[in-house]
Amino acid sequence: MKRHLTDGELRASLDGELDEGPILHLDACPECQTRLLQLKQEHLRSADRLSFLNQGIEPVPSVRSAWSRFTQEYLNQKEISMFKKLFAFPVVRVGAIAVLLMALLMAFPTTRALAGELLNLFRVQQVAVLPIDSTGLESLTGNEALSGRLSELVSSSTEVTDEPGEPVVVANAEEASASAGFNVRLPADAAPAKIYVTDSAAFTLTVDRAKAQALLEEAGRADLVLPESIDGAKIAVSIPSTVNTTFGTCPEPQTDKPAMDEMDGPRESYPDCIVFSQMTSPIVNAPDGVDMAELAQIGLEFTGMSREDAEAFTGTIDWTSTLVIPIPRYAATHADVSIDGVTGKLIQRTTEYSSEYVLLWVKDGIVYSISGSGTDTARAFQMVEALP
Amino acid sequence: MVGAGSITNDRNWLHKSMIQLMKKRKTELLKTSEAESDSREFESVFREYWAYVYRILKRLVGDPAEAEDLALETFFRLYQHHPRKVDGFQTGGWLYRVATNLGLRSIRSFKRRERYEIEAGRFALEESPEARPAVIHEQAEEQALARRALARMNERQSQLLVLRYSGLSYKEIAASLGLSPTSIGPLLVRAEREFEECYQVLTREEL
Repeated sequence: MKRHLTDGELRASLDGELDEGPILHLDACPECQTRLLQLKQEHLRSADRLSFLNQGIEPVPSVRSAWSRFTQEYLNQKEISMFKKLFAFPVVRVGAIAVLLMALLMAFPTTRALAGELLNLFRVQQVAVLPIDSTGLESLTGNEALSGRLSELVSSSTEVTDEPGEPVVVANAEEASASAGFNVRLPADAAPAKIYVTDSAAFTLTVDRAKAQALLEEAGRADLVLPESIDGAKIAVSIPSTVNTTFGTCPEPQTDKPAMDEMDGPRESYPDCIVFSQMTSPIVNAPDGVDMAELAQIGLEFTGMSREDAEAFTGTIDWTSTLVIPIPRYAATHADVSIDGVTGKLIQRTTEYSSEYVLLWVKDGIVYSISGSGTDTARAFQMVEALP
Repeated sequence: MVGAGSITNDRNWLHKSMIQLMKKRKTELLKTSEAESDSREFESVFREYWAYVYRILKRLVGDPAEAEDLALETFFRLYQHHPRKVDGFQTGGWLYRVATNLGLRSIRSFKRRERYEIEAGRFALEESPEARPAVIHEQAEEQALARRALARMNERQSQLLVLRYSGLSYKEIAASLGLSPTSIGPLLVRAEREFEECYQVLTREEL
């Protein structure tokens, strides 16, 4: 080999990645050796600065716990779409509104379910936000066996009596009203991208007190004692039809997450998407004769709230008419807002990648929400102003 | 009481349980042996590459918790796209590329960058308690500067450097980035020069 080595070949020789032919030339060529020394100086400077990329063998979280976390936090997300059918639209980015509406569903059986023979009918009339410290829930998040048993408990005691259907696209507010069975309102100042109607769904939960209590004890909360009276109680939850209207460019329903090519930034796909949701209040039939505040207090204490704080909060809530939305104390903010002639809630959350908001209110038996990205909520308020 | 899904960072136990219930019901109808096989295959890939992916990210971003999150995100992207089924697909190379890409983007984020710099210094101190804090602090500052220089560079160039300095061979890097092994040497020369320029610019900006 007579030609001199290129810089690239010289660089490869420093890494021991040079082919035999060029190596022979390098060994015999003073000019190439001189250039190699110069290049080596450059390389060593960078190598020194970047040496932290290959330092030692640091401890790695166990693959078992990583896999457990992965299945719980990521793989289960793909199943959310089935659950979202209850509420229709996957929403902006990771789905703030659907998640909130799921919380609505969840708030019922946990806070006011569980009891005897006579049935009470609960409907949402107002919204309350409860900032919680979720440390108590972490014992479940990180405990695969416990989570599995909880899942099994809920699975074995729940019967889905009305499977949620796929969202159906309708042409306008009139069609949506006819399909959903209530008067659908749309802002006059904006053209919807799509209007989806999702039909109703329902399930019944039968309480197994012994198993639930055992689970609490396994979670290290033997101090929390469920009332004997809840054993065998049947709670029927009915979720009415939901209408979701999208504005701007939004993901399709049933999409767990926006499509994320590996070259895209995480969750940055729908900056102008706004989703306006409306549904009649879910209905919960729960047996009479149980102290709802007591059950709510157990739930609150389980999340990590002190007994005194839980008592204070439960004392301020009418559990038969209030939708309680728990939010993480340090990850989201909330404020009362005057909207649509009533008092609603504005919940804002800033994640590592983005910000999102949800505006939530209840009027005339209908639960409304508007969700979007970013921190500028003016557009959402304008839309409400333009409602008929 | 329950949390609110992503609003509570998936700590909503009842919510999760309900989802699992729906999952169970649905999968009773839809489950196939193919799906089960896919699931086992994916878990096997996860177990095989977890430590490698985590280590690259830990060294790149400095913060163990962030590295773990990014590593999980990396595997989730693999799971979402199922590209491993394509003939000739290099699972390891794909994972390394996506991981470094996520790590670099993460460093690029201003808010997170500030946190990394604080966290990286703290972890460095914890990992080397015998060293003098002043030395550790200086090293952490230099590493922070190097991370920012990497994040400022052309993405492909910085990926190349991260993969090489993480210990990958030219062949592995080429497979990961879809390049010819013979092109790695010249590209490394160019990338190191660009890195040095970015580093110097950042040093001047710091003054």
